[in-house]
Amino acid sequence: MSLSRSPSPIPGGGWASPGLNINSGRTSPAHITGGPTAWESAKMRNHNVNGYPSFSTQNSGFFVRHMRKISSNLPRLGADSPYAQKDKLGRGSWEPRNMSMLGRLRSVFRRMGRKLKLRLLIATIVFICLLIFYNSPLLYYWRKSSMGGNGEKFVIILGANPGGGVMEWKGAREWAIERDSVRNKKKYTRRWGYELEIVDMSTKKRYAHEWRESWEKVDFMRTTMRKYPNAEWFWWMDLNTYIMELSFPLQEHLLHNLEDKIYRDINEWNPLNISHPFTDPYLDETALSPVGDGKADSVNLLITQDCAGFNLGSFLLRRSAWTDRLLDIWWDPVLYEQKHMEWDHKEQDALERMYESHPWVRQHTGFLPQRMINAFPPAACSDGTKKNNTRFHYNEHDHDFVVNMAGCEWGRDCWGEMYHYREFGYWLNRNPWERFKEDLVAEIWYKITGQRVKL
Amino acid sequence: MHFAYPPRKSSDPPPFRPRSTRFPLLRKARLRTIGLILVAILGLVWLLSGRSQEEVYQEHVPTGEPPIVIVTVIDPRSYSASYLRSVQENRRQYAEKHGYETFIVEAQDYDTKGYQQSWAKVMAMRHALSKYPNANYIWHLDQDAFIMEPSRKVEEVVADPRVLESLMIRDHPVVPPDSIIKTFKHLKGQEAAMIISQDNDGLVADSVLLKTGDWARYVTETWMDPLYMSYNFQKAERHALEHIVQWHPTVLSKIALVPQRTMASYAHTNLGEGYREGDFVVMLKGCTVAGESSCEKESQWYWQRFRELIVQM
Repeated sequence: MSLSRSPSPIPGGGWASPGLNINSGRTSPAHITGGPTAWESAKMRNHNVNGYPSFSTQNSGFFVRHMRKISSNLPRLGADSPYAQKDKLGRGSWEPRNMSMLGRLRSVFRRMGRKLKLRLLIATIVFICLLIFYNSPLLYYWRKSSMGGNGEKFVIILGANPGGGVMEWKGAREWAIERDSVRNKKKYTRRWGYELEIVDMSTKKRYAHEWRESWEKVDFMRTTMRKYPNAEWFWWMDLNTYIMELSFPLQEHLLHNLEDKIYRDINEWNPLNISHPFTDPYLDETALSPVGDGKADSVNLLITQDCAGFNLGSFLLRRSAWTDRLLDIWWDPVLYEQKHMEWDHKEQDALERMYESHPWVRQHTGFLPQRMINAFPPAACSDGTKKNNTRFHYNEHDHDFVVNMAGCEWGRDCWGEMYHYREFGYWLNRNPWERFKEDLVAEIWYKITGQRVKL
Repeated sequence: MHFAYPPRKSSDPPPFRPRSTRFPLLRKARLRTIGLILVAILGLVWLLSGRSQEEVYQEHVPTGEPPIVIVTVIDPRSYSASYLRSVQENRRQYAEKHGYETFIVEAQDYDTKGYQQSWAKVMAMRHALSKYPNANYIWHLDQDAFIMEPSRKVEEVVADPRVLESLMIRDHPVVPPDSIIKTFKHLKGQEAAMIISQDNDGLVADSVLLKTGDWARYVTETWMDPLYMSYNFQKAERHALEHIVQWHPTVLSKIALVPQRTMASYAHTNLGEGYREGDFVVMLKGCTVAGESSCEKESQWYWQRFRELIVQM
């Protein structure tokens, strides 16, 4: 016989087998339980007491399959109706209208088909997984790992405490600058899974002869390279820098299509008037070429030039044999002895000189447009016109990556500049909710009432 | 066989078939689809992430054509043509025997910017590195030196890593007698890029083997740094080399120090280890341009001997 619906579980247990029993599943199972023929079914029952039978009787049609759902959607009589009251009293399993939210949900869930339940379950799991991934350190570790974002290949070295220590007393402003700068770098490295190494630049009697003072950058670079053996790129940043665009990963911003972003021929911007390329007859083709071998792989030093020449406030080094040599040769007593009176910027001048005299240094150096990693505030490198120079000065419309308040300690207000860029950085990096509030709601409010509100 | 009735069914058939799995989603027919979808997703991930590994910088690997280039800087303004001819012939005949090349240049070809003429030697080395990027080694041999064993190849004398490892002097002060900077203890023959020896005063910059490559270019260019040239080292390029070897570990770490008589025996025994029959190279260091102990006179015997030996081969 064909059943109008799939058999329901019977409170006493046991199943009416449609093959054996002429009656539908609704008949009392009393005579089956205990009987020898019901042994199998009793066993099955023990296995999944709460289970729902997985077979369905002769593929029931659309109406039959959906009848329950449709009926659950049917309008019901109001609670005050006597019928409804009666109904409610009579059949407790029907949920009353004024049931609690939880109860309602439960009943909705109870009425759901198994398939739907499963799908919902999978969707929920996926959703929870995504939520966990994006709101936990998992994302950080993913972006850090070589399988994911490869962030462990990058180390940011932040030179904290410059000139501090025995030379200068640090005041509240200096502490505030340091705190903001460090927090900014931490935020950035956390976001992209990079490493952050904060080094102490305070003046110490580190070297017996006190010669190598201010070559600490070189030594810190070397120790950091030893400390992070997996890292490839090391980005030096002075303390007075601020990363404005936290959403730019270095991989995309710098290294993707690196050869299009750098210029290797210093003649493009040459404030030092270095004659380039070399003309010595004993050099090879690569050394004589203005662009070295022209490939991005051979660039191991990424540096910017400001209005006065090389700027070491923000530069990158790639781990390589060449870099070891550069860091090794950077300070040399014979050169120092001859030049230290002329070299105001110490290691910066030493690098310029190395670039000037050694073809091997030039072949692996690439220059980045300054605003890419080292934009200046208008007060630095200013020509007195107070106008922004498109080569040096920060421009928020172009989304310049980093601001370097270079030279602010010489007669400018470091804390003021840091505060300004910090606040602006916060504004640039607002989350979507803040953007919605400030750019839309507050604007509309302003249009309507003519009053600015802070939300 | 034929039965009147179909075979009897079991008298107590199972009330219903147990379900195949607990999860209907993982039914057999579906498993295949799920598997296929998984494979497709994995493939897509692989395709997207499988961008070719970034090309890393690879320095040029020399092919060994020619294996060795002998670099000599001659000074025709001070020395007689006949003497210089014997010097050139010595290198040329030796190189010809073993398939090497000679690179003989005049000191005046290089602009030493008013400093000692001897800086031209370093420039010549750099020049040879540019001109013969495929040579395994550049051998800088000073003008006042003669190769005395034409039958022996440079490789078997010193350049082969295994030979070199047996010859290397480890943990020895770089500049005699008591520099605190000592040669590396655990340098492998394969890794050495500059083979050099010591005399009584210091490194013998007049007989140096340089392995071609980025490191050799780095060292030669650093060696002739304009600020070293202007520093007025007493012995110009020789002291400059001793300076960079002692101050820069990236230089020191590639230096193999070999016994002096391996490739730089001296004719004047007061300066270093004296030449004995069978030594590879004799250096007439200390000879003068003219007079009683002129290089030309002192070289007579060695040049004769070399010609006898090369004829015998």
